[in-house]
Amino acid sequence: MRFNKRLTATALALCLAHGSMAIYGTAAATEAATWRPVASEKLVKLPANYLKKSLDHDFAKSALAAAITDADAELGLKGQTLDDLRMAIEQSNGELAVELRHQLLTQKREFIQLMQRKSELRRRHMQTRQKFLEGLLNKINQDATKMTPVRAQLVTAQESARERFQGSVGKADLAVLSAPAVPESKYARQYAINLAAVENLITTIERHPMNTHSTMRDTPANKQDFIRQMQADTQAGLAILDQERSILGFMAKLVALDAMALSEQVMDADLADSDIPRTSGPADAIKYFVN
Amino acid sequence: MRTSLRLILPIGAMIVSTMIAAATPVHAGTLANMERERAHLIDAILDAEITPADRQARVETAQRRLIDLERMVLRDDGLVGRNTPHVRRAFANYDLTFLVHASAEKNLAVADAWLEQLGISTQSLLAAKVGRH
Repeated sequence: MRFNKRLTATALALCLAHGSMAIYGTAAATEAATWRPVASEKLVKLPANYLKKSLDHDFAKSALAAAITDADAELGLKGQTLDDLRMAIEQSNGELAVELRHQLLTQKREFIQLMQRKSELRRRHMQTRQKFLEGLLNKINQDATKMTPVRAQLVTAQESARERFQGSVGKADLAVLSAPAVPESKYARQYAINLAAVENLITTIERHPMNTHSTMRDTPANKQDFIRQMQADTQAGLAILDQERSILGFMAKLVALDAMALSEQVMDADLADSDIPRTSGPADAIKYFVN
Repeated sequence: MRTSLRLILPIGAMIVSTMIAAATPVHAGTLANMERERAHLIDAILDAEITPADRQARVETAQRRLIDLERMVLRDDGLVGRNTPHVRRAFANYDLTFLVHASAEKNLAVADAWLEQLGISTQSLLAAKVGRH
């Protein structure tokens, strides 16, 4: 029976040791996991709604996302190991129980390390995303500031020219093309046909369910606002990660306290079983002197 | 795979539509063509070698062509914000550039509208004195 217990404990320890080695193997892969999104012109031109989807999709394809998924899977397995160990402790006693408690503490430590690694990967994701969004916003703002005073003046002149033109189209037609002998030009005919087609298409586009404008909390937003909202969300993610780091710190402290308690308990038991005689005072030695 | 297709297809379509919009040729020539035709019109107005009937016929023909060319320029999105001296100058004076529409707006003959822009009116011509250099 005692031999069986020792065998079980050894097998368990070997399994756990294998698990630990697997963790250290993935650590190197974690270091190399990166995500490098590029603020390309295409991305700048994409509607705000698609920008987010495109960014998420790009991340999902990256090595960093794969590393986070792997860490998640490892955490799931580690959690299962912790559950198994806890159940085994409940059903065991004596040396085996102490051994299993020791293994539980080791596994808890590794669980925390894994959580830390995942947290680090998520932080890397958030920081990269934040940096990317900053770059994208700068790029969009640069495009907006290309409007120099002279160019703005030109655009205003062109807008007022178009307005004036719209007001005089009928008059010009009447003045130049009113004579019955003058046929409508090929351009004017074709333009009218095409304009009807364009208007038809525009109406269809406006009614299209996918042609919804980007909104922030049900309020229509421009691209800059949308990106700033994404930045705020990323910042919130980083703040949550900071909070999670303190949770991990508390978990680690609890594991350390448990380890101290276990160590003290084992030492007390060792002392109780010890063959060394207890040191005694002179009063205990009286029996040697009194006849 | 299906998820990625679901995402790639709309994004791809969106990019293609953006690229099509960006790749639409900018007709820089609309302005040049219009100005060429306007020069013909002004040439017909100023030509002292032709009879009034010929002038009238030439002006009317040029005017019919110019009305379309002016509309092409005013509808040309490629010219919006194109900050070149040529485009800036064209839009700086609507009455001179879009001669046919401006004259129709003011109920004037094209020749009168053009001369008015140059500061020459019937009154100023009648009031002028023949002098020597």
